[in-house]
Amino acid sequence: MRIIVILGRVLDPRGIVVNPRAGRIFVNREEYILQPADRCALEAALRIKEAVGAEVVALPRTLLPDDDVLRQALATGADRAVYIAGQPAALPDDGLMARVLLAAIERLGGADLILTGATTMDTGQGQLGPRLAEALGWPQIVGAWTAEVADGRVRAVRQDGGSFVWVEAPLPAVVTFVPGALKPRYPDGRRLINIYKGVGEIAAALERWEAKDLVAPEALTPMLERRGQDFPPERERGVRLSGTPEEMARAAADALRARLPR
Amino acid sequence: MDASFLDLLMAQQEEVTEAEGGGGIWVVADVVNGAVAPVTLEAIGAARNLAGALGAYVYAVLLGDGVSDLAATLYQAGADGVRVADHPALASFAVEPYLEVLVDLFQAEGPEVILFGATPQGQELAPRVAQRLGGGLIEHATAMTLDEATRTVQAAVPIYGGEYFEIVACPQARPQVLTVEPGAFPAPFMDPYRKGEPKSIEVAPVEPRVRVLGPAGDFTPPSVPLAQAPVIVAAGRQAGDFGLVEKLAAALGGRVAGDRGARDAGWIGPEQIIDVRGVTVAPKVYVAVGIRGDTFHNAAIENSRFILAIHPDPTAPIFRVADLCIEADPREVLPALLQALGA
Ligand SMILES: Cc1cc2nc3c(=O)[nH]c(=O)nc-3n(C[C@@H](O)[C@H](O)[C@H](O)COP(=O)(O)OP(=O)(O)OC[C@H]3O[C@@H](n4cnc5c(N)ncnc54)[C@H](O)[C@@H]3O)c2cc1C
Ligand SMILES: Nc1ncnc2c1ncn2[C@@H]1O[C@H](COP(=O)(O)O)[C@@H](O)[C@H]1O
Repeated sequence: MRIIVILGRVLDPRGIVVNPRAGRIFVNREEYILQPADRCALEAALRIKEAVGAEVVALPRTLLPDDDVLRQALATGADRAVYIAGQPAALPDDGLMARVLLAAIERLGGADLILTGATTMDTGQGQLGPRLAEALGWPQIVGAWTAEVADGRVRAVRQDGGSFVWVEAPLPAVVTFVPGALKPRYPDGRRLINIYKGVGEIAAALERWEAKDLVAPEALTPMLERRGQDFPPERERGVRLSGTPEEMARAAADALRARLPR
Repeated sequence: MDASFLDLLMAQQEEVTEAEGGGGIWVVADVVNGAVAPVTLEAIGAARNLAGALGAYVYAVLLGDGVSDLAATLYQAGADGVRVADHPALASFAVEPYLEVLVDLFQAEGPEVILFGATPQGQELAPRVAQRLGGGLIEHATAMTLDEATRTVQAAVPIYGGEYFEIVACPQARPQVLTVEPGAFPAPFMDPYRKGEPKSIEVAPVEPRVRVLGPAGDFTPPSVPLAQAPVIVAAGRQAGDFGLVEKLAAALGGRVAGDRGARDAGWIGPEQIIDVRGVTVAPKVYVAVGIRGDTFHNAAIENSRFILAIHPDPTAPIFRVADLCIEADPREVLPALLQALGA
């Protein structure tokens, strides 16, 4: 069985400050982390590999300027990774990447299961998994919390309103994971060192392909185009409520309701 | 508006289609508990604004079992035409049955723009429709404007959950598919006199490929680390009744934490101390109950999106970082707050 897991990176939000008044984003510490939801997909792939045996192949979710996320995947337990070199788009563009990844998956000789994140931490995009499912004609399970494979089927837990349900799809299938779904393991230090030193089998497991060899040049035209940025209104700190405790409580309850995550 | 007038409208629409090469703005409805979801009405309102500038019509698509009566709501919200796929096979949402209805419809109608709610249903369908039709997809739109020269929708999408917004367009790919963030657009004026005759769509039942096996009683989701919790209710020395703090956290779906004072009072463990030397947080909502707010605490919460502080001392430093301040004894405010929240 071959599991393809698609991984991206995100600029660590702890290193950025957004200044609405200046209308600017200050990158004080340029440090990238694995997209949290993709990290759960990798963990799910490794658990399935341990349970039923599989080859886990890592592919990138964007045309990254470097291959760090793939090296991290190999050090964490993936068997093989393919870096796809190409001109990074101005914005992460799942429509473009679906074309590139379809070609890459075909060159790999297909797969039984494609796992990736259900959403990205920065742009909130969740279209990559479903786009691949559509192009391949496969079923999709979107927003999984855990997944297991048996008898040619994938079973997953998905949220359904306020509760959780088990769902099942025949293989091959696409499953996307919510951020925080699984407690991911850490990369193995020795493997990581060997990968960066280019030592041993593990270093040879990282291949490099060119996007322009995979698809026609027009397929590399981004679908999304940036037209500008906008900033939320600056926070109005220190608004003091007045009135009776009941009146203040009602005003505070309204303010809280408007700001609670859905 | 009677049926014959609508027919006339549809006939005009055909002409518009040929002249402009576009087939209107289409909104795919979300039906929740037998009612049209608010996000669908908001999307119709947003579609009307675009339609005015584009010179296009707004259509809504309803899918489900026994949903035909809901068409009236869609007309009232501003749809010029409604298509209804009413069939037992569509009783509950599943990708393949819904997708086939939509793809057949859109292949026949050639929409210029398609809007879905950014709901579980919309987020599964929109990318598949876009991929099948060769369209672009912009997710979680919170605002939309039009580049009139190229008839291109420009949408604001939240980055890092709304820290800032990128304005994005799909200038080349058609149709332009978007998912609309619930609550981002105003609910439209519901005109009780606006009526129309919905057209029904033939449904050829398709088997869903994902089967729901049943409730996952054996599953508990992993707990979110405090540093990543979206809602935190934290107590300080002046909180008074920690039981009420815990109740407030439950009412808000949040996690309980505190400052060093709360740890000294024995209310929380050391791993729950919010402090730059302990846990630094950036939740969407942070409620500080009876926390005075020293430098270390305030620095650890400054990236929160919204801070409510309740403290009896008007000079407490917490009020300098809070968005909303209540200068009062938490013992008086918390019961009223719990009641106002319906807890
Ligand atoms: C989610 C998101 C993350 C961003 N992250 C960065 C960032 O890390 N650094 C930065 O300078 N600007 C980032 N931007 C863009 C924004 O800060 C500026 O508009 C941009 O830096 C333009 O300046 P430039 O042309 O000099 O950058 P460039 O010279 O194009 O890039 C400077 C550095 O930032 C990186 N970078 C640029 N854009 C992105 C991006 N979209 N995602 C990840 N890395 C990017 C590049 O890899 C490069 O290392 C980001 C925008 C978004 C939407
Ligand atoms: N690294 C930074 N992080 C956050 N805010 C900053 C940073 N640098 C400057 N600012 C603020 O951004 C605004 C414009 O700064 P400047 O562009 O340097 O004039 C001012 O309010 C600065 O205080």
